[in-house]
Amino acid sequence: MTTQIPDLSEQEQLRYISQQAADARVNVEIETEGMTLNLGPQHPATHGTLRIIAKLDGEQVVAAEPVMGYMHRGYEKLAEVRTYPQVTTLVNRIDWVGSFANETPFILAAEKLMEVEAPPRAQYIRTILHEMSRIANVILGIGDMGVQVGAVTPIFFAFRDREYVLNQIEAVTGGRFHPNFDRIGGLKDDLPAGWIQNTKNAMEKVRDFCDQIEELMYGNEIFQARTRGIGIIPKDVGLAYGLSGVNIRGSGVDWDVRRDNMSPGLVYDQVDWKVWTHPDGDSYSRMWVRLQEVREGTKIVDQLLDQIPSGPIMAKVPRIIKVPAGEAYVETENPLGVMGYYVVSKGDLNPYRVKIRSASFNNVSITPWLLKGVYVPDIITILGSLYFILGDIDR
Amino acid sequence: MGLVESGKTPKSLQTLLNMSRKYSLWVYQWGLACCALEMGAAFASPRYDVMRLGVIPLPASPRQADMVVVSGTVTDKMAPAIRRLYEQMPDPKYVISMGSCANCGGPYWDSYSVTKGVDQIIPVDVYVPGCPPRPEALLEGIVMLQERIQNEDMQERWVGEPIVVGS
Amino acid sequence: MSDETAVDTVDEADVVAETDEVREATLASLTDEVGDGIVESHIRPNDDIWVRVSRDAWVDTGMALKSMGFGYFSFLSAIDWMPSPFGRDMDSQVDLTLNPPEDEDDDVVMETGVAGGDTRFQVFARVNDIVNNRAITLKADLPDDDLSIATWIPVYSGANWHEREAAEMFGIDFVGHPNLRNLYLPGAFEGNPMRKDFALLSRRIKPWPGIVDVEPMPGEDEEGEDA
Repeated sequence: MTTQIPDLSEQEQLRYISQQAADARVNVEIETEGMTLNLGPQHPATHGTLRIIAKLDGEQVVAAEPVMGYMHRGYEKLAEVRTYPQVTTLVNRIDWVGSFANETPFILAAEKLMEVEAPPRAQYIRTILHEMSRIANVILGIGDMGVQVGAVTPIFFAFRDREYVLNQIEAVTGGRFHPNFDRIGGLKDDLPAGWIQNTKNAMEKVRDFCDQIEELMYGNEIFQARTRGIGIIPKDVGLAYGLSGVNIRGSGVDWDVRRDNMSPGLVYDQVDWKVWTHPDGDSYSRMWVRLQEVREGTKIVDQLLDQIPSGPIMAKVPRIIKVPAGEAYVETENPLGVMGYYVVSKGDLNPYRVKIRSASFNNVSITPWLLKGVYVPDIITILGSLYFILGDIDR
Repeated sequence: MGLVESGKTPKSLQTLLNMSRKYSLWVYQWGLACCALEMGAAFASPRYDVMRLGVIPLPASPRQADMVVVSGTVTDKMAPAIRRLYEQMPDPKYVISMGSCANCGGPYWDSYSVTKGVDQIIPVDVYVPGCPPRPEALLEGIVMLQERIQNEDMQERWVGEPIVVGS
Repeated sequence: MSDETAVDTVDEADVVAETDEVREATLASLTDEVGDGIVESHIRPNDDIWVRVSRDAWVDTGMALKSMGFGYFSFLSAIDWMPSPFGRDMDSQVDLTLNPPEDEDDDVVMETGVAGGDTRFQVFARVNDIVNNRAITLKADLPDDDLSIATWIPVYSGANWHEREAAEMFGIDFVGHPNLRNLYLPGAFEGNPMRKDFALLSRRIKPWPGIVDVEPMPGEDEEGEDA
């Protein structure tokens, strides 16, 4: 098996390995024979069907090679043979935990090519749902991290409180998971009666969850011991690998597409919120930023609910949607990181080519570098803290 | 249990055996895609709580499982692994195919890399339709399977059409 | 790099009155670095910038961009500009397998996208400058008889998997890539699925209900069936 480490990062890597080796001098002295450990494709720690082949020296990973494709469904090809409204149904299922967020960039890209803009009310509801899918997604990631370090309670809490958010998403879109609610030029439906107050209550529940989990998990000594100083991603390495979202903000890069490069059609500039970063770059900092993201998300939703304007929810678009020829790339800050669609249109009913830049694909591509030199149990926590969804990697 | 294998169990003993089997279903979770989350919600969340039905969701390996829930898209790359783990399960074993992808390919019916239904590689007892099915639908599938197990005749175990939830 | 650089003439007939100093300046400084490597470019004011470079300048352009502050690697992929021969059950309008062109030499007309293109396959990549919030889309044509291009791994390590993906999906060779194995597909898979002439067999057998309604709605008569 050939694994490659990029040149630029060799030094940090060596330094890190030597630190680890100093801890485990025994391994070095005994010179145990290497073995190959296969994790997956069906393994609880891999969030689905990622498979990791790790070459071990004692307890330490010498080389780790992710094997993917167990969930490859051919989205980019299928998108070429579906009409634009049909593509949203498909892309819902890329990151299946925060489905609505998958639709947003594609719809925005199509709107950009068609030069239509959704009415303000639709933009607000879109942003609210985008944030709610982030909350639904990240809560689960936090709960799941508990399982990775050996605590089962957080995942029960996460599933419990996630249901409140899913109920609200279901109330407005009709689907717990795959809303398919976004339309080119607006949204399918307006909000149901009483939704705003119910959503505020749900956000309150989510904040309670955050407080609870912060004490229960983040303050826990074992959790800290398993995550602090483990899986450090330096800034420039993360950038060169194209990490995004929480994983890069956890390395101290203050970059959030919602704030810095917000595409028209979303209204993040109308609310007061903060981009959290953490300088450490280890597993703990990623999880910490994730928790703050959930809190910020509830704040964004609350504020948007207060300001939501009245008006139509659909702009004037033709019934049969033909997108003019052109190319557009739109990216948004999705729960797992930056997700973008590069849409090439030739003026037909179908897109000519859709390149899906999914966040997890880039996020996980760092694993061969990152897992080098760590201990076997740390593979699990590092993967957990990178938090990926297999559909988002394999597409 | 030579009696069971020969199919000559007395009726009363069979009822007792079937009842104890149906209330101790160890489920191996084959979570593949979106449906895995709904399966997780059914199995791990306090709201749906599958254990009240006598289903134990966390066996250590397929070798200890009575039932497998294949939830999600089966790809051609994954199919051999599914077949292999199915073969590792001891008899009697049951398969629930959860979601449109596992039933027939679902939204990826025309994809080049997706198996059009898990029933192409392993026999399926219960089909739960939906994309993804709600956790309640999975629970209903489990309940219907339990009913079938209760009335199962040891000799004629492999006879009969698969269950389709909601039909 | 934003100081008064000579405003480079944009090759594309860009008649939009809007100007975009930031992107013009980016293009100008890239032209200074790469020179003749740039074949064509296109700026959509206040939105995006596309630059098509020659295949030989691909790595140099990446290096130049990285030194210009575009340190964030977004994605790399390829595109096949040859329309599909399989008609409406794929995405093109004419089914060449059913209605073969009368003149064999009559090539299918290829329309290429923004910043143009001369050949069937094009590699494109996008990099960001996250400090100044700029992004640039790079394209490079691949000659039809030699589908290969130098790898970007020395520039952006993240290109590794993206190139593997492009290699298996389009059959493009990335020269210098250390590990160009299949990323997604099983080893025995034949063909390059993202090429436009790769047919989805299920669709060839069964018409896609989304384009033409093949079934009447419930309650309707059977009349609309052959529509």
